[in-house]
Parts: sequence; structure tokens; C-alpha cells
Amino acid sequence: MMEEHATQTTHPLIQLVINRVVEDSTTDTRIVVLTRTDDESEHFMVWVGASEGDAIRCALDTSTTPRPMSHDLIKSFGEHLGIKMERAVLTDVKSSTYYATVFLENKGVVRTIDARPSDAMALALRCQAPIYVTHDVWQRRSGQNLDAWLSKLETKNIGAQEEV
Amino acid sequence: MITQMQVKGLMFDPYNNAYIVILRDDDQSDMLPIWVGKSEASSISLAIENVAPPRPMTHDFMKSYLDAFNAKVISVVITDLNEHIYFAKIHLTYADSEYTVDSRPSDAIALALRTQAPIFASESVIRKQSSEELDQWLENLKPEDFGKLDS
Repeated sequence: MMEEHATQTTHPLIQLVINRVVEDSTTDTRIVVLTRTDDESEHFMVWVGASEGDAIRCALDTSTTPRPMSHDLIKSFGEHLGIKMERAVLTDVKSSTYYATVFLENKGVVRTIDARPSDAMALALRCQAPIYVTHDVWQRRSGQNLDAWLSKLETKNIGAQEEV
Repeated sequence: MITQMQVKGLMFDPYNNAYIVILRDDDQSDMLPIWVGKSEASSISLAIENVAPPRPMTHDFMKSYLDAFNAKVISVVITDLNEHIYFAKIHLTYADSEYTVDSRPSDAIALALRTQAPIFASESVIRKQSSEELDQWLENLKPEDFGKLDS
């Protein structure tokens, strides 16, 4: 049984909100940019695949796709079965790969499942569930000059679009 | 009437730059090609090959989600074909009740393969699938087209 135990950590979880999804056209990946809810200037970035990034962007734009996507189907399972997504937590990072845990609740019983951050975030957005990162993972986040790096990337993307 | 189908393979459709999942009934008389996107095709391919990726893919996550509460996939049914788009339903049991959830066929097939649930097609879908179109496809098929997903 994977029932939740009361967490007794010295560092509380840090809540994040997904700010935007940036296209990295050179590598066909997407960068999900999250910011702290208590300090919008503090960034956290997660690299995801193109289709995973698009699944997050879809939910961010609240654009309705003509057909339900995979995460819409998971949300639909939850609605039918009465399973509520409580939260997503980015729990670990090993050799630049992030690990996430999704907390689900049904009739007072909480279960946790292992997920890629992209699936955890895509479902969290659709279920209006909060996203957290552990203090440890926050401190080990990659990249020091994120702002400079991001602005460079985004300028490049804009430039490419204007080139007709 | 519904007919049980087996996933016979996946092939690349160079004309539409998409992938096709080939479903075939047990006595090999009916065939249903279903066009799917690249990421769905790759998810179905991993399940056919029985490859466990290092991290759970979206449909593995979907299975974990259902497993966490002991919800079971009973079957999936390709129910309708409308303007070249297939529709599917996933039948589930959970806490002694049955549920039916609408789905894209690609999600339904990817989940069925991971949960060992049977895949069915309704008679009307098989009837609507024009044999003319199929013959054309079969003529163009080459054995090496099958299982060519890794490119």
C-alpha cells in the first residue's frame, strides 16, 4: 500500500506555476519554464520532448483540441471513477533527468504514482492541481544564468519568425 | 456485432507522413488500418515489442493511474468511423461498477496492449472501411514496410 504518511521535512515544498513552454528548434525539444508562486523572478526549467511539450502547451492555452489527447483521457478516467489529482511533486533529479510523483485521491485514500515530469505537469494543468518541487531538487536545478539564456533563445525564436 | 481484432503491426505511411496501425480479425478476413501520430505510434510500438522504457511513457503512466486504484480495462472497441476519423470506447470496471470512456483509437490500443485487454471493432466500422481503399494499400505494401518505426 502506498498510502501517504505525514511529511515531516525541515524544508517545505516549493510551489511552482507553469509560465510558458519554449521551443528549442535546434534539438526538437521543448523547455517548460516554471516560476515560484512566492517569487515570480525565480525560474525552474524542465526539458521535455516535442509531443510532451505540446501536450502541456495545449492545456496552458486552454485551447480545446478537436480530439481528446492522452492526458484528457486520463482526466476523463478520473471524472468517471471519482479519482482526484491532489498534486504533482518534482521529487528527484539524476543525471539531468527529473522524477515526479503524482498524488491521487479517491474516497479518502491517497495513492502515489511515479511519472515523468511532463506527464505530471500535463495532467496537473488539466486537473487544476498544484505543482511542487522539493527543496533539494530546487537547489540542484540546472543552469545559473537562466534569464540570460532564455532571453537569448526567445530572441532567436522571434527573429526566426520575422524572417520571411 | 463486434469482432475481435489483433494488432498485426505498424507501418509508416510516406504519403501522409503518418503511421498506420494494422488491425486484423482472427480469421484474417477483415483488416482495419488506423492512422495515428508519431508519438502514439511509438507508444504502441514499445508495447508490441514488449520493451520497458527507462521512464514510464504516457500510456504506462495511464496504466499506473488505473492500477493505483485497482481499476481494470475490460476491453476497447473501435466504434465508429466518420470522415476518416475513428472513434473508440474503453470499458473499465472499478469497485464493482462498469464504466465506458470515449477515447481516440490510438490511446485505446496503446492502453489495451499494456493491460492485455482485447480489442474489438464494431461491424459498422469494418463495413464502412472501403475495400477499394484497402486493396490499393495492400498493393503498395512491402514486407519491409512492417515494423519500420525506428527510423
